Amino acid sequence: MSKERAIGRAEKRQYDLPLNRGSGTGFLVILIALMTFLGMLALSASFALSAMTHRWSSGLENRISIEIPTQDETGKLLDRPTIRTLTQNIAEGLKGTPGIVSIHALDDAEITKLVEPWLGTDLAKTDIPIPGIVAIETSTSDSQTLQAIHNKISAITPNARMDTHEEWLSDLLRFTGAMKLVAMILAIVIAVTTVTAVSGAVRSRMALHRAEVELLHLMGASDKYITRQFQRHSMILALRGGIAGAVFGGIILVLIGWIAGQMGVAILPDFHLEPVQIAMLALTPFAASLIATISARWTVGRVLATFP
Amino acid sequence: MIRYDHVGLRYGIGPEVLSDISFNLDPGSFHFLTGPSGAGKTSLMTLLYLGRKPTRGIISMFGQNIGAMTREQLVPIRQRVGVVFQDYRLMNHLSAFDNVALPLRIAGKPEKEIKNNVEELMHWVGLGDHMNALPNTMSGGQQQRISIARAVITRPRLLLADEPTGNLDDEIGFRLMGLFEQLNRMGTTILIATHSQVMMDKFNHSRLILDKGSMTVVPPKPKAMEGAA
Repeated sequence: MSKERAIGRAEKRQYDLPLNRGSGTGFLVILIALMTFLGMLALSASFALSAMTHRWSSGLENRISIEIPTQDETGKLLDRPTIRTLTQNIAEGLKGTPGIVSIHALDDAEITKLVEPWLGTDLAKTDIPIPGIVAIETSTSDSQTLQAIHNKISAITPNARMDTHEEWLSDLLRFTGAMKLVAMILAIVIAVTTVTAVSGAVRSRMALHRAEVELLHLMGASDKYITRQFQRHSMILALRGGIAGAVFGGIILVLIGWIAGQMGVAILPDFHLEPVQIAMLALTPFAASLIATISARWTVGRVLATFP
Repeated sequence: MIRYDHVGLRYGIGPEVLSDISFNLDPGSFHFLTGPSGAGKTSLMTLLYLGRKPTRGIISMFGQNIGAMTREQLVPIRQRVGVVFQDYRLMNHLSAFDNVALPLRIAGKPEKEIKNNVEELMHWVGLGDHMNALPNTMSGGQQQRISIARAVITRPRLLLADEPTGNLDDEIGFRLMGLFEQLNRMGTTILIATHSQVMMDKFNHSRLILDKGSMTVVPPKPKAMEGAA
């Protein structure tokens, strides 16, 4: 047997087409890694916004807050015992009102805890007046019930304010809804960019290896046979890039969670992902790979359709 | 088996490179395609291996009208045709073995069968020691033999060869012609495009002579006259 030089010996065959040759492969891997990374961030942002919406809106349905301001109608500051008395009067006065399920007058400790994110923990030790709050749960939110409650409150303490949370909650929901829409649009842009990049890469590969593709075609290779090679190649590259992007994205998300924890911003929800959300993020590279595979299949099919 | 009726071919809006070509290739027949350079041999070969559609006329292969078939339906037709290209058209990133194995892989044959068949044929064409070599490290003659082995590995029903012995020395050239004749005896129809008068004189087969896009068919000499030339 003649001794062939190692340089002239073939490597293990992966594809019939020289798809691993030439530049562009690394570019596609990096691009898909970045797309997966951005996709993970967009998805995580969407999860965080959902958590925020859930936290802020949960329990606010059929709930009313009545605030007894720290000033009377003339603008005079009220002391804490007066505010407490007014609060108790409202709580007592509303008892038995149709549609009310429960009434709870918040004590100073509860109110202090409530405003803790904005004003800190030392509120009780200061002289800053604390408004009175009565939390009411109703069986319904229809306008008649709300009007009846409002009338009763006005009769007891004319300057007490009734807050059904609807206004700020709807603003908040609109805002988070818009943010979620932005996240979704971002995800679509990422997917479209991935499709475009993969299609472009496949097209340039096909142009580069047109002679080889034509040869396979002339030897009786079906479109499926040729497509399979590009599909497999794109799938592997996308998976490689996707996993790299997902690992990087995972590290960044852990870091964000850690930094958010360190900052202790209580107004924001904890950056905590549910198992199902973690599973969805873990599936991102596979989604990228699937998008790449389908794009490659579609592109190759279109080019092969021009062959005789 | 192969029937051409008034077939014409032109590239774009240029003049016809093949005009009104009509001929029949019977199953198991052996033919030489010859003619001066630029006569249209390569164009005709391209039509025969379905690399292009004619601009007019009817082509029938294996009893089926090619013009009426979809791309998908042409796949099994192409698999029945083996082609030896003049420029070999080998896959330079694949080993000699994998180049020869390609048509079998396309046909979906099992790897064990591929290994046995390819190894046997590569030994036969004298390249048994070069299975793992890359084509671009081999000589022109060796590459031509790989190309021929690739064309015959599936025992095609029609074998088209464009100057298949052009780069080979006489001994190997005649040996490969022997392989073609052997395939022919097993039922494969052979069409060899060649300029070699020596080859055509040595092997007495019908000649399709192309000149200025038109064809003349010259039948083989009667047995009694063989060797008289």
